[in-house]
Amino acid sequence: MPTDLITPVLTKGIGELNLRDIKVYQEQGGYEQLRRAIVELSPKEVADICNGSNLRGRGGAGFPTGRKWSFLPKDAKTRYMVCNCDEAEPGTFKDHMLLEETPHQIIEGILIGAYAIGCEHAYIYIRGEFKRGYEIMRDAVAQARDAGFLGDNIFGTGKRLEFTIHRGAGAYICGEETGLLNSLEGKRGEPRLKPPFPAIKGLYGEPTVVNNVETLAYLPYIMRNGPEWFANVGPQRSPGYKVVSISGHVAKPGNYEVALGTTIRQLIYDCAGGLRPGRKFMGVQPGGGSSACLFEEHLDVSYDFDSVTKAGSMLGSGAMVVFDDTTDFVKAAYALIRFFSHESCGQCTPCREGGHWIQKTLERILDGRGVDSDIDVIKSAAHQLTGLNLCALGDSIEPFLASVITRYEDQFRAYIKKPAEKVAV
Amino acid sequence: MSTQTDAATGVHPGPVSGSALADGQSGWSPHVQRAGNPFDKLHASLVPEIERIIAQYEDRRSGLIPLAHLFQEHEGYLSPNAVAAIAYHVHESLATVESTISFYTLLFRKPVGKYMIQVCRNLSCLLNGAEDIMAYARRQLGIGHLETTDDGLISYEEVECLAACDRAPCAQVNLEFVYDLTRESVDAMIAAIRAGTYEIKPLAQTVKPGRTWKVEQDTGRKSAGGMNVSDPNNAGGIGDASGIVMFDLIVGKAKYETRSTERLVHETQLRPELSENGHH
Repeated sequence: MPTDLITPVLTKGIGELNLRDIKVYQEQGGYEQLRRAIVELSPKEVADICNGSNLRGRGGAGFPTGRKWSFLPKDAKTRYMVCNCDEAEPGTFKDHMLLEETPHQIIEGILIGAYAIGCEHAYIYIRGEFKRGYEIMRDAVAQARDAGFLGDNIFGTGKRLEFTIHRGAGAYICGEETGLLNSLEGKRGEPRLKPPFPAIKGLYGEPTVVNNVETLAYLPYIMRNGPEWFANVGPQRSPGYKVVSISGHVAKPGNYEVALGTTIRQLIYDCAGGLRPGRKFMGVQPGGGSSACLFEEHLDVSYDFDSVTKAGSMLGSGAMVVFDDTTDFVKAAYALIRFFSHESCGQCTPCREGGHWIQKTLERILDGRGVDSDIDVIKSAAHQLTGLNLCALGDSIEPFLASVITRYEDQFRAYIKKPAEKVAV
Repeated sequence: MSTQTDAATGVHPGPVSGSALADGQSGWSPHVQRAGNPFDKLHASLVPEIERIIAQYEDRRSGLIPLAHLFQEHEGYLSPNAVAAIAYHVHESLATVESTISFYTLLFRKPVGKYMIQVCRNLSCLLNGAEDIMAYARRQLGIGHLETTDDGLISYEEVECLAACDRAPCAQVNLEFVYDLTRESVDAMIAAIRAGTYEIKPLAQTVKPGRTWKVEQDTGRKSAGGMNVSDPNNAGGIGDASGIVMFDLIVGKAKYETRSTERLVHETQLRPELSENGHH
């Protein structure tokens, strides 16, 4: 593997050091930037550093982090920082690794972010399935508290920062920021109508910032190395590093931290070891289950927010799922549609009913009872339900489905012409 | 938020004498100590932990899901007792608690097996043979999706992406990750669970599970207040356990006027210390 592509920042030391131990993390310079932020810098100076780095959200939407913070009303007394660790996008497993391996850099990032926005009580929302990660985070927070990085008088400055770990209970939709806030408030994780956005009215009705784990974890390094260090890597409008989760039909699936602007081909062939012997490339989902499939002609697309969008898909959470020529795209589409249908919170009729209908139609096709018009029905239903929902879940149904139906319509037609063997899924 | 004052002052609905709850009836009440009742004993031992959890939040209701995790950890599922206790501690109605926990797939409203095997059925696992693993596991266990073996030992579910796609196909057993599944490793896992030698600890189990823990959709014909109360057609009214909890909460929150006249009359008869306008 040509290691020059891989640039460990967040992933540095994983597998070599026990970074769950606060002493080991501090030996690597950990919590030094938190101290610097709180003791030496004003919140505005910290926010300016973040702004200068051009850091964009690593959770899916790619919204500029500094700008998100700037939407908070200036006169608000109470503000909340909420870290989103409800990772459940199909194909994504970066936060899972960061949570279990390097909890302290997440805590430091959250606390720096909290200080920058003037928040005194930060929350982290951890996916319910990450029970082990939750326990690790709990131990790490206890260590940080003992070390005096949390509590009423941080570094003797009289500044107060509280920290609560909240564990979810199994719902993908709680990764959506307003769904997450509802869940954190002890309600059903149903997304809220926006506006008002969380920056105006979020947790407990107060101005709130919700940032992804990876986004916040980059803050200590941006502080340490300066905003230019981050801003000068990769494309100007979409700079910095990114942990990319690569899975599916590749020789070496895993998390690879690279500079944005690395091509999709380099990620698949140089980082993840390419396809398995004798296999042919058929497609890749570049940004998790919600993103449209890209094909051979897109292999040299630069992997950054804007270029992937321009190619007709999205970078999303930075999860690549690679498909070789053994892939049954009907089943692949079915798995994702079933996922969205299952995870729909049910508030918006287009998403709740549309997803379910498409799932049933695909089930019929897979079962050998499909009719020719089914393909048009699916395409039309997926297209019509897009854009009519409170959150992005409904809009995530169409991209992959439409892209693979367009490209591999023959696979769908084959099921309709010649029923497959009984489907076990 | 209205409950923020409660969090700030720590005001609880005070104890009420003369509860209508009889010993052994389903549904927990803060006002009745049922001697020898295992749930009352459990609850009493958990009170400090419950208070610690709730104190972490600015609003009591945020404690709802953590408390559900806590009770489920001890009872294996969320019993009607636990639901009532959660409602009491977060100062919400039973219906609210019911409706919230029913949203989350990791909160079980009916008993499950001592081992909960959850195999991922999403894309990356599917591309790496999950279909075969799932069919094989179902065959070896003799049960299907969302079902529990007759001996109450193993529950099986096919779940969505577990965020371990680099080591597909994957599963969780009692929320501990199991990676790189093969038919052989599935066999070994099931054999070890049955032999009692599996490395992952069993879940608590206080009630023997039925065939499935899936809860059928309520048609809405029952009155509000939730399932499994002593009388489903009168759930949430005074005279049964859930009603008492709700009643105390309403009074505690001074939202007396929100109740129906019928219930008001009924309650005034039962609690003569209340004056006609419903205040003490």
